Amino acid sequence: MSDISLISGTDHGNISTRGIRVWDLPVRLFHWGLVVGVSTALVTGFLAEEWYLDIHSWAGYTIAFLISFRLIWGFVGSKYARFASFIFTPKETIGHIKEFARGNSAHYSGHNPAGALMVFTLLAVLFLLTVSGVIILGGQENLGALAGFISFEIGAFLVEIHELLAWSLILLIIAHVAGMIIESRISNENLALAMVTGKKKDTSSEPITMSVSTIALRAVVIAAIVGGAGFTLYQKYSAVPASGLVRLVPNETYNSECGDCHYAYHPSLLPKSSWQGIMANLDDHFGEDASLDAETVKSISAWLNENSSEAWDTEAANNLREVSPKSPLSISETPYWLLRHSEIDKNIFKQANIGTKGNCVACHSDAKTGRFDDAAISIPPPKPNT
Amino acid sequence: MKKILLVLSTAVMVALAAPAFAGAKQDAVMDHYKKLAKGSFSASRGKAFFGATHTGGKPATPSCTSCHTKSPANTGHTRANKPIAPMAFSKSPDRFGELKKVEKWFGRNCRSVLGRECTVQEKGDFLAFMFSQ
Repeated sequence: MSDISLISGTDHGNISTRGIRVWDLPVRLFHWGLVVGVSTALVTGFLAEEWYLDIHSWAGYTIAFLISFRLIWGFVGSKYARFASFIFTPKETIGHIKEFARGNSAHYSGHNPAGALMVFTLLAVLFLLTVSGVIILGGQENLGALAGFISFEIGAFLVEIHELLAWSLILLIIAHVAGMIIESRISNENLALAMVTGKKKDTSSEPITMSVSTIALRAVVIAAIVGGAGFTLYQKYSAVPASGLVRLVPNETYNSECGDCHYAYHPSLLPKSSWQGIMANLDDHFGEDASLDAETVKSISAWLNENSSEAWDTEAANNLREVSPKSPLSISETPYWLLRHSEIDKNIFKQANIGTKGNCVACHSDAKTGRFDDAAISIPPPKPNT
Repeated sequence: MKKILLVLSTAVMVALAAPAFAGAKQDAVMDHYKKLAKGSFSASRGKAFFGATHTGGKPATPSCTSCHTKSPANTGHTRANKPIAPMAFSKSPDRFGELKKVEKWFGRNCRSVLGRECTVQEKGDFLAFMFSQ
């Protein structure tokens, strides 16, 4: 406790402007960076429209970077950043929580046992969230580092788990903030402020001894390694062609004959049976005569059958395989289409720059590719009638 | 200098002559219908046919104007909201140059609007109207 002599200005009744260094800068940057990343991920995940998915994923990649950094920092960081400084036995932890519930709390310079439990739980939950997130992104959206490796089915399965983890995260955050406030009251120490300044005013705290330059050097090296490795892995694996996307050989006849009147629907948007139904009934095609000569019908039908929803593993193809029993030829009558567009005001479809539910490209800029990424959605603002 | 003028004037002449070449294809299409028709074609009859409300076709398309708007010089819209280039020859000089395509669209649209094939007379009058615009 020789470093006590470093402390000055702890006058009675006055709030010290100095205090004792306990949280190094990397720990504090990690903490507040995580606050920003997690808040962004929670807001975009729970509240924002689908097309914020790209921001949501970048928040996820940021969180992954931060926790990877923290895991290494837990071994080479300064005193209280090291995991070894806050590993407590279950007995100690339970004892501390019991005391805490009675309104007493023993002094800990770094993390107390309850706080330590929170740190490890949060790290574990965030790890699972980022892993499940990148799997979902790859499986459901054919995007991100795992797009080439994950099937739609696996992605869909993990959606539930990802959501469950996110709810647990919210509960953990509430408990974390509540615990911090109560502990601050008990110990008469503003712990949130301590995480900003890095200093605790309690004179019984033992300061960290690692020099600022050592901390900075180590942190920069680790951040560069973690960031570089993450970026390299991301580049390498996201370059693998997405597993669910069959490369479509474009059919000029289809594009001109069908695309003359409407957006040339990607063949993955309907099952074989529906395409066959459409091609057999062109004389009454959604209320219009769209007849083609027999040869053209034959060639377009063959191409549609080959590339129907059965041949794809995209989100759209998987969900649109189930058609409406009443109107099996209509994409916009499928249960999934109706579900996903249920929150959109019906008048929006009548807008001059959209016109009809069948005009997918008006809002889905990637409709021609059949991807229908969440991030590619943009509902155009209504155009004033001229 | 004289050479430049010569080149320029030749270019201008070629440019001016160009629409006549584009029109040759359309003339061939028109000739096809003229051979089949008994009488001559009339742009004013074509205009009336274009603007008329017909019965017997599909409910969503009672008239040519349902999609092509009241004037052939306007850009129209399909029911799926794809723009349709104007049909007036002055606006779309490439139109009506391929008999197969002309027949395909007469076939589809006559059945959609009138519920039957159009007669040679109706097709010729319609084209005469479009070429006059």
